[in-house]
Amino acid sequence: MEIFGAKVAVCLTKFESRALCSRVEAVTLVDRFMIELRNITKSYRTGKNAMQVLKGIDLDIAKGELVSIMGSSGSGKSTLLNILGLLDGHDGGTYRLDGMPMDKLDESTAAKYRSKFIGFVFQSFNLVGYKTALENVALPLYYQKVPRKERNKKALEYLRKVGLAEWANHLPNEMSGGQKQRVAIARALITEPRVIFADEPTGALDSVTSEEVMQLLKDVNREGITVVIVTHENDIAAQTQRVIRLKDGRIESSGEAEKIMHHV
Amino acid sequence: MFDRDKWLEILHTMVQNPLRTFLTGVSVALGIFILVVMQGMGFGLQNGVFQQIQNDAVNSIWVRNGQTSLAYRGLNPGRWVRFDNRDLNHVVQNIEGVAGYSGRVGIWNAQMTYGKETQNFGSRGIHPGNQELEMVELTAGRYINEGDLIEERKVAVIGKTIVDDLFRGKDPIGEYFTLNGVQFVVIGHFEDPKSRWENRQAYIPITTAQKIFGRSDALDMFVVSTGDLSFDETKRMAVDIENYLKERHNIHPDDNRAIRVTNNNEEFKTYLDVFVGIRMFIWVIGGFTLLAGIIGVANIMSIVVKERTREIGIRKALGASPFTILSLIIQEALFLTLVAGSFGLVAGVVLLEFAGDAVQHEYFANPAVNFAICATALAVLVVAGALSGLVPALRAVAVSPVEALRTE
Repeated sequence: MEIFGAKVAVCLTKFESRALCSRVEAVTLVDRFMIELRNITKSYRTGKNAMQVLKGIDLDIAKGELVSIMGSSGSGKSTLLNILGLLDGHDGGTYRLDGMPMDKLDESTAAKYRSKFIGFVFQSFNLVGYKTALENVALPLYYQKVPRKERNKKALEYLRKVGLAEWANHLPNEMSGGQKQRVAIARALITEPRVIFADEPTGALDSVTSEEVMQLLKDVNREGITVVIVTHENDIAAQTQRVIRLKDGRIESSGEAEKIMHHV
Repeated sequence: MFDRDKWLEILHTMVQNPLRTFLTGVSVALGIFILVVMQGMGFGLQNGVFQQIQNDAVNSIWVRNGQTSLAYRGLNPGRWVRFDNRDLNHVVQNIEGVAGYSGRVGIWNAQMTYGKETQNFGSRGIHPGNQELEMVELTAGRYINEGDLIEERKVAVIGKTIVDDLFRGKDPIGEYFTLNGVQFVVIGHFEDPKSRWENRQAYIPITTAQKIFGRSDALDMFVVSTGDLSFDETKRMAVDIENYLKERHNIHPDDNRAIRVTNNNEEFKTYLDVFVGIRMFIWVIGGFTLLAGIIGVANIMSIVVKERTREIGIRKALGASPFTILSLIIQEALFLTLVAGSFGLVAGVVLLEFAGDAVQHEYFANPAVNFAICATALAVLVVAGALSGLVPALRAVAVSPVEALRTE
C-alpha cells in the first residue's frame, strides 16, 4: 500500500487543481495515460517574427487508445505529432510519456526514448532506399545494439506479421505503396514500442491499400499498443476511437469519432 | 570496433559513387605520395652530402697553418706560421678532451718505383691516430703503429690506386719499393671509397718522414679527435687550441689568417641544421598537398551528408543517437582517407625503393623513408581523416530530425 500512497502523492501535486482527484481515480489517472500534455506551446521563428503554431494544448491519451488528430493544414497537427514523437521539442508546458517527463530533452535522450518507446509510420514511408525490406525492418534494432542474427530473425517474424515475408529481400522500389507502408509498420513495431505515431499513413495510398493499412494499425492497437494517427481524411478518422480536432494551434474538439463525424 | 553493419554502410556510400570516391581518394593518395617521396628525396640528398663530408671523422678538429695578417710583438705581417712537434705535444698533453691525434707531413710528388714501374703519387707522414681521423678502410695488412714511429721504420701503408697502378694488382704486402729514392716496405694497403685523392697516398711513420725528407720536427698540420665531447665542449677545445698556438707563435689574438682551426663538429652541425630546415620545408609542402586532399575528403563528406540528410532523419527517428551518426560519418571519412593514404604511402615507398637505385649522384644517395616518417604520415592521415569527417558529421548531427525528414 506504500506504493499506492506514493502514487497518490504524485497525483496530488500534479493535479492539485483538479477537484475530482480522489484516491482511486488518481491512481488510475497516473496509470491510465500514455500521453499527458499540459499547456504545450510551440512557436517557429521565421526571420524576425515568431509564429506560434501551438497555443497551449492540453491532451490526455489513454493507454491502448486509437486516436486520430485532424485539422486543416497549418492547424499545427504535424507539429503536435512531431512533439509527441520527440522529433521536435516544445517551448512550454509539460509532456509526460507513460508517466515520464519529456520536457527539454537533449538529442541523445530523445533518441533513446524514441528507440525504446516510439514507433513511427510516415506518409512517404521513409524506408532506406538501398536496404532490403528485411534490413529496413531490422534497422531500429541495430540502434538498440541487438545482435545481427537475432535482429534479422525478428525482422522476418514482423515481416510475416504484415504478410510480406516473401518480400524480405526486395528493395523498397520494387514494392507497391501499400507494401512499403506495411514494411514501415513492421519496422515501427519491431522494437515493441508503447506508442505508434502515424503521420498521414494512408496519404499516399489508394483506398484499397489504405484500408489494408488501417486494418493493420487497428490490429496493432488491438494488441494493446497506443496508436496516434494524424490524418485529414474523415473515413480514416472515423475508424479511430477518438478524434481530436485542431484549429489554429488549439484543440477545437475531442470526442468519439461517431459524434464528431456527425458534428461536421 | 568492428561492426559489420557499419562497414557495409561505409562501403555502400563509397561504391554508390565510385568515380567520386576514386577522385577524392586520388587527391589524398597524391598528397601522401608527394610527402613520402619528397621526404625520401630529402634523405637522399642528406645521405649524399653527408657521405661527402663524412670523408673525415666528424668528431675532429683540423689545424692548418697560414700567413699572419697583423703585426704583433714587433713581428711583421705576412710571416708563415710553422707548426712543430712541440705544438702537437702540448695540445695533446695539456688540452682537455683530446681523444686521438695525428700530425701530418706531406711529401708532394713522391716518386715511387716498383720494379720497372715509376709513378708519382703522394705520401704523408702520420701518427697511428690518423686511422680513426681520416677514416680509410684498411683492406689488408696493418696500419702504422707506435713502434714504427719510435724506430723510424721505413714502412708504408699504400692506397688502392698505388696498389693497382704501381703494383699492377700484385699483392704488395712485404714488397719493397722506393719513395723518392728511399726504400720502403709495404705493410698494408687501404681504400677510401669517398676520396680519389686519398687512394693515391702512401702513409709512412711521421718520424720517418721528418727525418728522411729533411723536415726535422716540422708539421704541416695536425688533427685531433674530440672523442665524444659535447658540441659546446668541442667548440671550447677549438678555441683553446687556437689561443695556445697564437700565444706560442706570437700571433695577434685578432689575426684569423695565421692559423685555421676547423672544427668538423661545427661543420657537421651546420649541415645537420640545413637538412633539418630542408626537411621542415618538405613537411610544409607535403603537408599542404595533403591538406588539399583532406579538404577534398571534407568536401565529399559534406556532400554525402547533404545527400543523406533525409536518411539521417529517418535513422534519428528510428532511435539513432547523435553519437552513432557522428561516428558513422567520421569513420567513413577516416576509412576513405586511410585506404587512399595507404595507397599513396605504399606507392611512394615503392617508388623510392626502385627508382632510388637508378638515381645515384655524387650528392644523392639511398633515398629512403624511415619508419618514423611513415608512422608520422599515417598519424597525420588519421588525424586529418577524422578532422575532415568531423565538420560534416557535426552538421549531420545538428540537423533536427523534423527538418531532415522534410528534405527531399
